[in-house]
Amino acid sequence: MIGGFTRLLLFQGLGEVLSKFLLPFVPGPVLGLLLLLGWLSLRREVQQDLEMVSAAFSRHLGLLFVPAAVGVVMFMPQLREHAFAMGVALVASVLATVGASALLLRLLAPAADRHEP
Amino acid sequence: MSRELPRIAEIWVYLSGSPLAALILTLLAWQAGSWLYERSGRHPLANPVAIATLLAAAAITVLDMPYARYFEGAQFVHFLLGTATVSLAVPIHKGLVGLRGRVLPMLAALLGGGVVSMLTAVGIATALGAEPLLVGGLYAKSVTAPIAMGVAERIGASPTLTAVYAVTTGILGAALGRFVLDAVGARAWWQRGFALGVAAHGIGTSRAFSVNAEAGTYASLAMGLHGVLGALVIPWAARLLI
Repeated sequence: MIGGFTRLLLFQGLGEVLSKFLLPFVPGPVLGLLLLLGWLSLRREVQQDLEMVSAAFSRHLGLLFVPAAVGVVMFMPQLREHAFAMGVALVASVLATVGASALLLRLLAPAADRHEP
Repeated sequence: MSRELPRIAEIWVYLSGSPLAALILTLLAWQAGSWLYERSGRHPLANPVAIATLLAAAAITVLDMPYARYFEGAQFVHFLLGTATVSLAVPIHKGLVGLRGRVLPMLAALLGGGVVSMLTAVGIATALGAEPLLVGGLYAKSVTAPIAMGVAERIGASPTLTAVYAVTTGILGAALGRFVLDAVGARAWWQRGFALGVAAHGIGTSRAFSVNAEAGTYASLAMGLHGVLGALVIPWAARLLI
């Protein structure tokens, strides 16, 4: 578990350094993700400890969003004033996005792949 | 006897000033949210992130704790978002193996979904007269929070506000996505997962994983790809629109 976590931090660090000095338009974690992806496809298999840490992150991903989301308290006055506009924009936009993506997937999917296996 | 009361107050002052209080508060709120989510039979409307956020926000309001001080403790959880982003390489790597003819529809959904997300949100909010400060946070809202916050900084929008929208979008997508997916007739798990990942990033992915493993894998694939694409394209698109 610790080995997997260390490896993730290492790739994150590499990504941050790369973002800082070479590719400032891509966020460090994204570069770390791409580097790790490249490394995994070279190695062709995922080590067990990396798999475990990654599964743990997937399971508890939601927790990591809480600190930033609580920041809503700072924008309460403005948000309350424009609650209707922002609420409609957010709800309509997410429905349209799910709909558009799913529709494109369904229409462009290979014929043999359109339904549950 | 009279020495007892000031002591309790002192203990409280000490505890609430320590980063530990905010950290414990965040984790307790998450535990409560997860517990309610499980108890409701994983009902999409009982989203654990939404519950945890409401509980934690209510708690710091009642305790009169400024957000900056809350964040001093909660940042230890927040920091892991970057690491979690890197860890997405694992499900993406596994998802890439069985793609067959799915690459083209996936890229189309990614581009189409990304454009629809940005244009509808910014367009509707502007048309309804929301102020520019609030609208600026909407550009990156469908991108996973750690990346969205970085993009927001780059386009001169508020990272916190962007994170709030990203989380709200994630919660709404996780809660309502199912109805839209049924309405457009997307039945295959990989399609449902991918569409949810494009629109509702990490929170949609969490939701997809809790429903079906294949849906979860495709959702994390979509979220990772949308993150990469968003980081590259949104700053440029925002410059064109502003």
